[in-house]
Amino acid sequence: MTAGATGTVLRVRDLAVGVRDTDLVLVDAFDIARGERVGLIGESGSGKSLTALAVMGLLDEGLQVSGSVRLAGVDHDLVGADDRRMARVRGRHVAMVFQEPMTALNPTMRVGDQVAETMLLHGSRGSRSAARSAAVDLLRQVHIPDPEQAARAYPHQLSGGQRQRVVIAIALANDPALLVCDEPTTALDVTVQAQVLDVLVSGAAARGAALLFITHDLAVVATVCQRVLVMYGGHVVEAGTVQDVFTRPRHPYTAGLLAASDLDAVDDRGRLRTIAGTVPAAGHFPDGCVFRNRCPNAQDDCAVAPPWTGPHQASGYACHHPVPAVAEVGRG
Amino acid sequence: MAEPTTDVLPAVSVRDVTRTYRRPRPAPFRPAPLVAALRGVSLDVAPGQRFGIVGESGSGKSTLLRIIAALERPTSGTVHVEGNDITALPERRLRGLRQRLQLVFQDPMGSLDPRMRVGDIVAEPLVAQGHAAPRDRVAELLQAVGLSADAANRYPHQFSGGQRQRISIARALAPRPHILVADEPVSALDVSVRAQVLNLVADLVDELSLTLVFVSHDLSVVRRVCDTVAVMHAGEVVETGSTSQVYDDPQHDYTKRLVSSIPTLRRALAGVTARDLAAGAAGEVA
Repeated sequence: MTAGATGTVLRVRDLAVGVRDTDLVLVDAFDIARGERVGLIGESGSGKSLTALAVMGLLDEGLQVSGSVRLAGVDHDLVGADDRRMARVRGRHVAMVFQEPMTALNPTMRVGDQVAETMLLHGSRGSRSAARSAAVDLLRQVHIPDPEQAARAYPHQLSGGQRQRVVIAIALANDPALLVCDEPTTALDVTVQAQVLDVLVSGAAARGAALLFITHDLAVVATVCQRVLVMYGGHVVEAGTVQDVFTRPRHPYTAGLLAASDLDAVDDRGRLRTIAGTVPAAGHFPDGCVFRNRCPNAQDDCAVAPPWTGPHQASGYACHHPVPAVAEVGRG
Repeated sequence: MAEPTTDVLPAVSVRDVTRTYRRPRPAPFRPAPLVAALRGVSLDVAPGQRFGIVGESGSGKSTLLRIIAALERPTSGTVHVEGNDITALPERRLRGLRQRLQLVFQDPMGSLDPRMRVGDIVAEPLVAQGHAAPRDRVAELLQAVGLSADAANRYPHQFSGGQRQRISIARALAPRPHILVADEPVSALDVSVRAQVLNLVADLVDELSLTLVFVSHDLSVVRRVCDTVAVMHAGEVVETGSTSQVYDDPQHDYTKRLVSSIPTLRRALAGVTARDLAAGAAGEVA
C-alpha cells in the first residue's frame, strides 16, 4: 500500500495521450480518494474514454502515452507498464465495467465460471470450489434472482440488465481499490438502470472501492457521484463537487452542457438551449482554449491557453471569461 | 373512439391490434412457443397531434411502430392511416401510404446507405415514387434541416451523428408527408446535439403542420416534444393522456415506477440517490 496510507487511491499526473503529432488527451492532475465516487463528463470526442483506458493501460498500441498514473497497492507506475505487469493489476486492484455487457462477457462460458475465473487468476480463492461458491455469493450480492441457477447460465440466456450485473460481480470479485465504469447503464432501460446503479454504488461502498464513472448523462452523474470532472477537447476544463459544478458552473462549456440537458428549460423563443456548433474531430480543436470556437464568451485573449483557476486541482476551472459566480443557470 | 368518420379523420387509428411471433421450436416435435408482442392495442392520433409512445425494451413499442408504418402486419386488428385501412392493402398498393407517412430511425448510420451520396439519399423517396428528383428540392430539404447545399455531394460517414440524423429527417420530409414517425431519433446522440435535433423536429412539425408519432424509451424527451403520450408495457397501452399529466401525476402502477426511476438533475441535487431510484423502480414508495 504505497499511496493507500494517505487515502489516495488514484493519482494521475501530466497524463498525455496522442497519435504522432496530435495530442488527444492532456490531463494535468487529478486524484481520487478511497471510496470516493468521481464522475467524468463531456460529449463524445472529449477524451473521457481515452482517459479511462489510459488509467487501465488498455489503450491501443498505436497511441503514445506519457505522464504518471499511480494506484494504491501497486508498486509501479501504470503508464509504460508491460502487459504482464498490468494483467496482475487489472481485475485485482482496478476493474472496469463497460457499456456493452455482451461484449465484455465470454459467450461460450457459464457466467458463474467467469466470475470464479477472475478470483482464481489472481489467487484470491485457493480452490476451484471455493471460487465457485464465492461466485454464487457475488451474484447474490448484485441481486441476480436465483443465483445458483444463474451461475450455470450462458450470457445469451440473461437479459441486458442481468448481464451488466454479472459484469459488476466480476469487477467486484477481488475487492478492487478502484472501479472504472464507462457508460455502464447507457444501453439499459430506465427502471433497470436505477437498479444497476444501486447495485454498483452499494457494491463499491461495501468494499470501500472508489468509482471513476464516465457518462454523458449529467443526471446519472449527479445521482451517483460526489465529485465531477468536466472534460472537453482532451482537457479537464472544470472540476468540483457535484453540488458546486451543477448549480454554479463557471466554465461556459459546463454551463452549456447543463443547459442543453435540461429538457424543462427553454430560451425566450421556447427552444431548448444548445451549445453552438459541434465537437471538432480529434486534432482540430483550436489552440489556446479548446472551447473558444464554440464559446459565447470567447474573446481575443482566449488564443492563449487559460490557466487553472481554483484552490487546487479538485476544484476550479480553466477559463479567461468564466460564467459569473453568482449567476444561476436557469434552474432551482 | 367511433369508426373513422368523414369529418375529422384521425391521422392514425389503431384498433385492437395484436401481434404474435413464433419462437424457434425448442425440439423437433415440440410446438413452437408463441410470444405476444402486442396484446390488443387501440389508439387514435389526431391530425396535427404530437403523439409520444413510451415503453421499455420488450414493451412492443417498436412492433407497434412498424405496424403503423406497414413494415409489418398485425396478427389481428386494423390500422387506418388518414382513413385508409393499411392492414388490408397488398405491398404494391402501399405507395400512397409511403407518401403520407415517413420514418426516422434511431441509428442514422444503419439507415443511410454508406455508398450513396447524401443528395441521392435525400432524393431516393422521390425517385422511388416516380418523381424526377429536382436538385432544387434536395437543396431546399438540406437547408430545412440546417445543412449546407454542398452536403449533397458528400457521403454519410463524413458527417457527425447529429448531422446524419438531420439527413434522415431531410429524406423523410422529401415526399412531403403529413405524418412523421420517429423511432428513438435522439437516443444515440449527445445531450447538446440532442437538444439541436429536438428543436429541429419541433420546428419542422410546426412549419409543415405535420402529425408526429414519436417513439422513445425516455419519458423526459417525449414530455418535451409531445402533447399526448401512450405508455406501453408488456404489449399493452397501460396509460394514455397529456404528457404533463402522465409525467406529473401517473395513474397506472407501471407508469409510476417508470417516472420514479428517471434520474434528473433537480432530484439528484436535492439528494435523491441511486438507492431511491431503485426503490422507485421496484415500486416501493420512496
